[in-house]
Amino acid sequence: MSVTTETTAGAAAGSDAIVDLRGMWVGVAGLNIFYLIVRIYEQIYGWRAGLDSFAPEFQTYWLSILWTEIPLELVSGLALAGWLWKTRDRNVDAVAPREELRRHVVLVEWLVVYAVAIYWGASFFTEQDGTWHMTVIRDTDFTPSHIIEFYMSYPIYSIMAVGAFFYAKTRIPYFAHGFSLAFLIVAIGPFMIIPNVGLNEWGHTFWFMEELFVAPLHWGFVFFGWMALGVFGVVLQILMGVKRLIGKDCVAALVG
Amino acid sequence: MSTSKSGGAIGPFHSVAEAAGCVKTTDWMLLTLLFLAVLGGYHIHFMLTAGDWDFWVDWKDRRMWPTVVPILGVTFAAAAQAFFWENFKLPFGATFAVLGLLIGEWINRYCNFWGWTYFPISLVFPSALVVPALWLDIIMLLSGSYVITAVVGSLGWGLLFYPNNWPAIAALHQATEQHGQLMSLADLVGFHFVRTSMPEYIRMVERGTLRTFGKDVVPVAAFFSGFVSMMVYFLWWFVGKWYSTTKVIQKI
Repeated sequence: MSVTTETTAGAAAGSDAIVDLRGMWVGVAGLNIFYLIVRIYEQIYGWRAGLDSFAPEFQTYWLSILWTEIPLELVSGLALAGWLWKTRDRNVDAVAPREELRRHVVLVEWLVVYAVAIYWGASFFTEQDGTWHMTVIRDTDFTPSHIIEFYMSYPIYSIMAVGAFFYAKTRIPYFAHGFSLAFLIVAIGPFMIIPNVGLNEWGHTFWFMEELFVAPLHWGFVFFGWMALGVFGVVLQILMGVKRLIGKDCVAALVG
Repeated sequence: MSTSKSGGAIGPFHSVAEAAGCVKTTDWMLLTLLFLAVLGGYHIHFMLTAGDWDFWVDWKDRRMWPTVVPILGVTFAAAAQAFFWENFKLPFGATFAVLGLLIGEWINRYCNFWGWTYFPISLVFPSALVVPALWLDIIMLLSGSYVITAVVGSLGWGLLFYPNNWPAIAALHQATEQHGQLMSLADLVGFHFVRTSMPEYIRMVERGTLRTFGKDVVPVAAFFSGFVSMMVYFLWWFVGKWYSTTKVIQKI
């Protein structure tokens, strides 16, 4: 514990610390507070204004969120990827080992925020959709739970994945050369849940299958959900990179 | 930990203490990210393949529930075992994955089933899976073999599921008479808590199958479940290994 405290204290002092978790904590806290507010909003306006998509209050309280969030997310995702690309290390192979190690830790921070986002999207809001549609008749593709689940939480975790991917690609030599297959799976696989929404909603509209959660129509989400397991390979690649950077002597000193 | 071993800088670190702190902090971050990512993937997989048989207490019947839930649950448990055991010789893959799933489900049952759509929490609790997961991990640890874990572990995974959940569901088998009709409490639940957004034929077919009093349904379902779980385990062990790839490709 004391050594951890020492490292954290170094980071807080603004030294050249390898581990500085401020970015991660800001991201995690920001996401959690934001989703907490969203959940409270759902509690208040789900039943009050979300039961009838033809009602004027539905337009006010729910569709206005939909029409705001989609362009905002698109712009944010592109801006983030663009900024990471624009500020890329143009001589990435010349990075010093200590700095490279620091960048590996920052990548892990990105991935922790991504994992928090995927928890909210794939776990919290997805099962929440199940209980909503078993309870309230689904009269539109853009129900209160869908507006939060499909069109808010899924794009947000995809933006985090894109951010992590571009960070690694533009700043860490190992990831800069070629494409990590596992990282591609992590970045693209769960993202594919968003286009799969198209199939899902088309199917629901066409066949009106309301609303067996295990219906085969939903299995596309399952298939792309598996791809979160790509973090296995990414974690191994990060650990391989760290092991290479710290060298045998350091490993021996730590283990021995 | 002392810094005196090297007396100063070691590798890219200023001291051994800094190295140890960095490793410790990063290990916790990696475990957190693995936990949440596995939780997310496992949860969406589970709720859309086994969910309806696990969401509602009146669907926790003696046939489909003990058949479907272990078969579809052993997937991520096997994949996580493949990752943790093959790469780190850590024998907790199945429990790690199952804890993630259960935490995700319990948060949902409280915040959303109960907190948003007002289903009584006692009617929507998630299945207990920790005991089968521990069994799977213990077999992995003792045998060190994915084949033995697939055969012995997965059979146990299927067989342990129902008795492990029995204490929670026992009361719902209680017989009750309603307007001259004999039914179980689970049947009654199904009549009182009608899920509106579900096809009528599914409500009629699936509702209240805890009514299957006696007979030999559960052992048959459990053995069948264990049998299929073995094959699913084999498949998902390799799925877990495949997702653990460190391959780098040059073009996309």
